[in-house]
Amino acid sequence: MPQAAARGAIRIDDVVKIYDPDGAAVMAVDHCSLDIEAGEICMIVGPSGCGKTTLLNAIAGFHEITSGTITLDGEILCDTAHPKAEPGSDRIVVFQNGALFPWKTNLENVAFGPTMQGELTRAEVVEKAMGMMADAGLAGVEHNFPGEISSGMRRRVEIVRALMNDPKVLLLDEPYRALDSLTKSVMHEALLEIYYKNKVTIFFITHDLEEAIFLGHKVAIMTTRPCKPKKILIVDIPHPRDYSALTSKRFRELMEETNEAVHEEALKAFEAGEKEG
Amino acid sequence: MEQAKQPVKTEVMLDIFKRTMPFQVVSDAMLRKIAAVSWRVTYEPGAVIYDAGDKADDIYIVVSGKIEHALEPDVQARRPVQTLKAGDVFGWAALLEKFPARLARAICIERAEVVRINGDELLRLLESDPDAGDVVMSRFATMIRQDYTVPDLIAQLRSIHRKLHAADIQGMNPTLYRVSLWLKSPRPYLMLIGFALFLGFWYLAVEVWKLPRFREMPGITGVIKEWISKDPTYGLSLYTPEYYEHIGMSVWRVTQAFFLATILGVPFGLFLGWSKTFKEYLFPVFETLRPIPILAWVPLAIVMFVATESAVIYLTFLASFYATALNTMLGVDSIDESYIRAADCLGASKWQVFRHVIVPGALPFIFTGLQISVGVSWFSLVAAEMVSGQYGLGYVINTSYTMVRYPTIVIGMITLGAVGYITSAIVRLVGDYLMQWRLRELAMGGR
Repeated sequence: MPQAAARGAIRIDDVVKIYDPDGAAVMAVDHCSLDIEAGEICMIVGPSGCGKTTLLNAIAGFHEITSGTITLDGEILCDTAHPKAEPGSDRIVVFQNGALFPWKTNLENVAFGPTMQGELTRAEVVEKAMGMMADAGLAGVEHNFPGEISSGMRRRVEIVRALMNDPKVLLLDEPYRALDSLTKSVMHEALLEIYYKNKVTIFFITHDLEEAIFLGHKVAIMTTRPCKPKKILIVDIPHPRDYSALTSKRFRELMEETNEAVHEEALKAFEAGEKEG
Repeated sequence: MEQAKQPVKTEVMLDIFKRTMPFQVVSDAMLRKIAAVSWRVTYEPGAVIYDAGDKADDIYIVVSGKIEHALEPDVQARRPVQTLKAGDVFGWAALLEKFPARLARAICIERAEVVRINGDELLRLLESDPDAGDVVMSRFATMIRQDYTVPDLIAQLRSIHRKLHAADIQGMNPTLYRVSLWLKSPRPYLMLIGFALFLGFWYLAVEVWKLPRFREMPGITGVIKEWISKDPTYGLSLYTPEYYEHIGMSVWRVTQAFFLATILGVPFGLFLGWSKTFKEYLFPVFETLRPIPILAWVPLAIVMFVATESAVIYLTFLASFYATALNTMLGVDSIDESYIRAADCLGASKWQVFRHVIVPGALPFIFTGLQISVGVSWFSLVAAEMVSGQYGLGYVINTSYTMVRYPTIVIGMITLGAVGYITSAIVRLVGDYLMQWRLRELAMGGR
């Protein structure tokens, strides 16, 4: 388990989310409880459309929950009485398709949070942004627009943009889904490197079990709609990890141990004809 | 160790470059410039040409001999150690912005003669001639990919390209750059052929073949003669001041109407898109008024505005306003929800979201709207000027019709077309200027 971070513990307690767009209620999340420790990388694995993003949206404050409670470091984000959390810079989302503003340069994107919050002077913001970008291997692209750099670099810029705000939690919604596997492997190590430097809690949604076990302290395998943890796996491969972990014996064992559960859910999702989402 | 620098004839240098893959297709003139920043050096066996961590200043071409090139272990390459022979290139870290230091160790293993080229100077030369530069850089990229297969550097390879594209575009202003590309492509010549075919058909149909429906039309030669006549039969040509007064009047009216439509239409469209309540109040009214043709508005416009001039501008303004407002609203609708959520997460207030996300996000659509707006303002202007007004191109066309001055009608029409084209080109240029991010993105995607 990570040592330093004492903040960013998320507790999801008995959360239910029912959608009823056309009067017919659809249960997206079913009495879901999950504890994420401060500074932990928690991977949420489930087939596409299983309702994992609903959970992320509830934490981020984009959507209401129907009942239950979500707390961050003991403070209530949302509960049955206040079903929608207030979005805030303590929980920053990195979106599936990327949400860097294409009309701002990479530097302006990274500087966006502190600039909007107005707590630092312009010069301080720029200095901090340049420093963090350099640390993440992004020196040289500060004045380019996101559209001019590779998709892997764009993801890195987006993560740095989030970290600029010193968040308690990073919420990643399948951020590497659209990347080719070569770039993906580079990005995994880069993410771990950034994590080792910053020690934020990471809530990471994916449908890739290998990615989940490689990155996570904890892997929550979710059932398909309604969504709730089916199996929680504690990954006992010590951090810091690098790519050699992928070929280690323990990694293979963990893969075997969980593959079945994931496959079962994937099959259920397929039979239910869930749409991508 | 390194021996004395040897002065070399440029011709010999050119010969060496032409045997080296990245430079093979570069023009002699450019190679001469590169030769001016290059020199030859001979190394004895065992000499370390450079070591990992050294400053990466020059790139090297092997002329003869053998050199061992070993990448640092933490640069994960498929072929970390290679023996380089005549024609091979190494030391390309000098061209990467991100790696000011060497990534490898190069040792002479058999008395070797090499050409050294200063990396910064080479980049500067390549940037001065983007066409040649692009070829050289993409060949470098291919070479590095093939010979070294360094996964970590793939992003860097892309950035070599990017650097060059950025150089292309930054070196000139984006518009000039596009114009220069355009002139090099077949497009302008196809355009000329298109015009020639059109005018040729006009000439043949009216004046040579005298086709049934065309016989009564003014012929191209008559129109041109009238147009460039110092003493035009019908009183209007390039040499008469009235011609320019009409143009000036129409341009002035369109300008006023267009600016009014922009100043009112953009904010109106932004609010329609931004506020659901605002939209529910006003969009149905807007949609009911929008299909009403300008001509139907003429009587009311004359009643509403005492001055004829205001009525003309109002009529010209109306359709532009609809086009601008509607496109702006669609622009706001088109903005990906993620951008707004991201801004929320990052602590932006509602007003900041509007200023930093909604407005720039809608800008591409807004400019599409403005392009349409400037076009329809010319449409409506002519309609308005036909009904009332003393001057203007629409007025010219209408009065020439009643007074049977057919060549003047055509002069008026062609002038309208040309002036209209120029105004919409100006709008496009302003749009390009405000949306450089898009231009650069397109430039990246287009190759």
